[in-house]
Amino acid sequence: MFILITTLFLFLTALALMVLHVTRPGFRYGWLAAMGGAFLAWISVLLWQMFMPIELNLPAWEPALFRDAPSFAADRLAWPYAFGLASFVLAFLLRAVALAEVPDLPGWAGVLALTAFGILAVLANNPLTLALVWAALDITELAAQIRAVQGERANEQVVSFFAARAAGIVILILAGMVSLSSGSALDFQTVHPNVTLLLILAAGIRLSLAPLLVSPTAAAGHEFNLALQLTGTAASLVLLARTPAQAAQSPLTPFLLLVTAGAALYGSLQWIRATEESRARPFWMITISSLAVACALRGNPVGSVAWGVALVFTGGALFLSGAQNKTILRILLVFGVWGLSSLPFSPTASVWQSSAPPAWADWIALPALLVAQAMLIAGFIRRATLASNIESPESQPGWAKNIRPIGVGLLLLGLLLLGFFGWDGSLTIGSPLASVTAGALAAALYWLRPRLAFLNPVRAHWVQPANAPRPNLFTDTLQGWSRQSGRFSHFLAALLEGEGGILWALLFLVLFLSLLSTGTQP
Amino acid sequence: MSAPFLWILLPLFISGFLLFLRAERTILILGLATSILLTVLALIVPINEALLIGPFSFKLEGSLSIFGRSLTFAKADGSLLALNYGLATVWFLGAEPLGLTRRLVPAGLATLALLIASTAVQPFLYAALLIEVAILLAVPMLLPLNQPPGRGLKLFLIYQTLAMPFILFAGWILAGVESSPGDAALTTQATAMLAVGFAFLLGTFPLYVWIPALMEEVHTYPASFLLWILPQTTLFFLMNFINRYIFLRVSPDLFELLRAMGLVMIVTAGLWAAFQTNLGRMFGYFIAAETGLLLTALSLGTSTGVQAAFLQLIPRGLTILIWALCLSLLRAQVDTPRFSQIQGAMRIVPFAVSGLVLAGLTVAGFPLLAEFPSRLLIMEELASTSLEQLLALLVGILGLLAGTIRTLAVSVMAPPESPWESRESRVQAVFILSGAIALLLLGLFPQAMHPLVENLSLLYEHIGQ
Repeated sequence: MFILITTLFLFLTALALMVLHVTRPGFRYGWLAAMGGAFLAWISVLLWQMFMPIELNLPAWEPALFRDAPSFAADRLAWPYAFGLASFVLAFLLRAVALAEVPDLPGWAGVLALTAFGILAVLANNPLTLALVWAALDITELAAQIRAVQGERANEQVVSFFAARAAGIVILILAGMVSLSSGSALDFQTVHPNVTLLLILAAGIRLSLAPLLVSPTAAAGHEFNLALQLTGTAASLVLLARTPAQAAQSPLTPFLLLVTAGAALYGSLQWIRATEESRARPFWMITISSLAVACALRGNPVGSVAWGVALVFTGGALFLSGAQNKTILRILLVFGVWGLSSLPFSPTASVWQSSAPPAWADWIALPALLVAQAMLIAGFIRRATLASNIESPESQPGWAKNIRPIGVGLLLLGLLLLGFFGWDGSLTIGSPLASVTAGALAAALYWLRPRLAFLNPVRAHWVQPANAPRPNLFTDTLQGWSRQSGRFSHFLAALLEGEGGILWALLFLVLFLSLLSTGTQP
Repeated sequence: MSAPFLWILLPLFISGFLLFLRAERTILILGLATSILLTVLALIVPINEALLIGPFSFKLEGSLSIFGRSLTFAKADGSLLALNYGLATVWFLGAEPLGLTRRLVPAGLATLALLIASTAVQPFLYAALLIEVAILLAVPMLLPLNQPPGRGLKLFLIYQTLAMPFILFAGWILAGVESSPGDAALTTQATAMLAVGFAFLLGTFPLYVWIPALMEEVHTYPASFLLWILPQTTLFFLMNFINRYIFLRVSPDLFELLRAMGLVMIVTAGLWAAFQTNLGRMFGYFIAAETGLLLTALSLGTSTGVQAAFLQLIPRGLTILIWALCLSLLRAQVDTPRFSQIQGAMRIVPFAVSGLVLAGLTVAGFPLLAEFPSRLLIMEELASTSLEQLLALLVGILGLLAGTIRTLAVSVMAPPESPWESRESRVQAVFILSGAIALLLLGLFPQAMHPLVENLSLLYEHIGQ
């Protein structure tokens, strides 16, 4: 019931905003409705703590042959994500309300609806429900992006993004089927070891591959995109928390860990180099997602929750802060670095713990992951200090300057508190050696960044521009293969539909039947 | 009054009458009134049972004899009749904004009545002949009288007609099987004849080549109407055979054969769809894959499989309808629905393209959409028996998904600063939007279909026992 109340607050507010937009264009108090709905939702998520675990079961599917019905549950692993998303939407609206000269009611309604879907996704109690909510999120995101972006290339990338996300759903469904073929239906309480890697792969594809396909130019200038990215990533990250620690037992795990470490390194390097926020943001998501996937692969699924919390709270605070006064930025800097540091009792303290036996790949992957974390922190410091130079706070009215920090403060306070009692796995000493190493590396990288060319994003004007099309071996090979296959399929179709088509069809049919009859003979 | 008169002869008479009318609006109103009336009656009037209305008692007889043969409906047929006439109502409604009322409604009503007759005729072997008559009657619906037939239409007629001798010959052998059930050679011959006959009739691989060819050359909407009702009726015809003859329903080889046929259809149609650049042809492959999925569900030989097939009927009808309407609207804007022509079409006909993509995703079994529940049942059953077969199914589904995503990618690739407009009329937009909402609701709450489809399994109670 509580889950229903929270999501209804969000959905109904979104609906009310849309109705207001249609019936009373230019209505001045739309912001009050938006803020009211978001605040009530935030309070209700806080109240969940008193009654957890909470369940919401939708009517069972009929005929009564379906193994699962859509079901949601708020437990200690899902709550931090739900709280993060509810806090983010409140902070987002506080900022939007303060900045908007004209109320963007459809935009606010979209963010509220998206958050409701995000909360439903993190609360999904079985793979069926997760697949349904992922699909809802993906379709919503696709529609919003197509409406927003301009240009052939940007549109193509939006569709590629959707395709990558859809691939994640297909793998999730495949995991359910593989589990079933092993004799047990897949649910999040008892995950069969055979399917753990598939679950991680499903989340990994949605988390890493999809953001890589997003064009920074497609996302530029759209605040809505920040909400899309954070909600989509949190909704995918939650799956990692549901995987059992036995993932490390698979022979494929070391290879996947190496790939993940590579993705984390790539993402963090791009994150530290990027100058524009819209270009940097996908790499923030990729880096943290890769670190979370690495946690799951190293048999520490709870560690992925820590990264998820850091993603929503620290990232939300950073990207919503914009031009704040210097005090707020200093607080953001301290709290943000604390949130990412993995120091004892910080929210990310548990990320370097592992229940898996050491493997050969750990010797390569662990240093790479530590470097990635260090670059993430160094990049965060850089962005937080850079923010004060972008806009002048004096250009905004006084009340706006006073309201905006509340949202960021809300996120930072949430981050701090979650480190102490957020979920089963917080309030831990963790691995001080790893955190100190990452911290020292971060400090060194921050100092080295202006001094090393490969960490410096500034290009000489005669060098190839960043947005020029570059040859891509992978894409070119794929397109070439696709063209050849297409030609072959057209040839086959023409053969069967041509003058001799009937004879060919009969020949195929006889061949098919004779093959089958041979196969069925004892 | 008898049920066969009401649901077979009456619509046949009315369709004949409609042929003589000129005013499109009158044809539409009469056609719609007929189909709505027949749907409502199928829902509320029980067949072969007394209905008490106050002091009056009324019984609708289930059987009607014609020339020594009988047309018989059971009580459970009510759902099937309501489903067919209900969906036909929506099809007729969709024909109006496309200006196809005169072409679709009379012929469509007649075709539907004949195909329904094929599920009711006793001895049921005569169903093959009724299907053949329905196919011939559908030709004027597919092609205007002044237009010469193309390759697709010829292939359609050839392949469907080739099925008849095999089915009739199988029936002749089956009469022998009934008198000497232990004759293994006879049962094998009967099974082989049936397999070939139904392979033609259902259009299994590679015999479905007429579907994309037909979709490419004739108007999408009437062709889709035919491709909605024909494979569905043929499947019921096949289920009649399996339900009646014990040697067929206990034969694991038959179900293996059906599954192999179904899976090969899905895989090949999926792969062809993935590389297709003509939307008309792609739609043809999607319909072939749909038939493959129906066959695969049936081939499971379990009550779950039968239920999965029935659960697919309403979403399938709706999906084909939405796709047909959207493709027709898109075709009105371009010379041919090739990728090169539809680039950036999302900004010109956004409702049509969105409907097209949503319908494609539905056929691919995308979660949240109407066909996902039935796909889930099929996949779960396959996973319990063979992971390899499940993977084959997934390959086909991925092909369908790839075809849909390619369509989407091409249609959104508009040049920068292209303005958004909507060339669809308000009626067309509302129609597509309603269909899309229905697809979403049925995907989220498939139990809404349950009251309508739960009785259908009573018609084929021996399958899956």
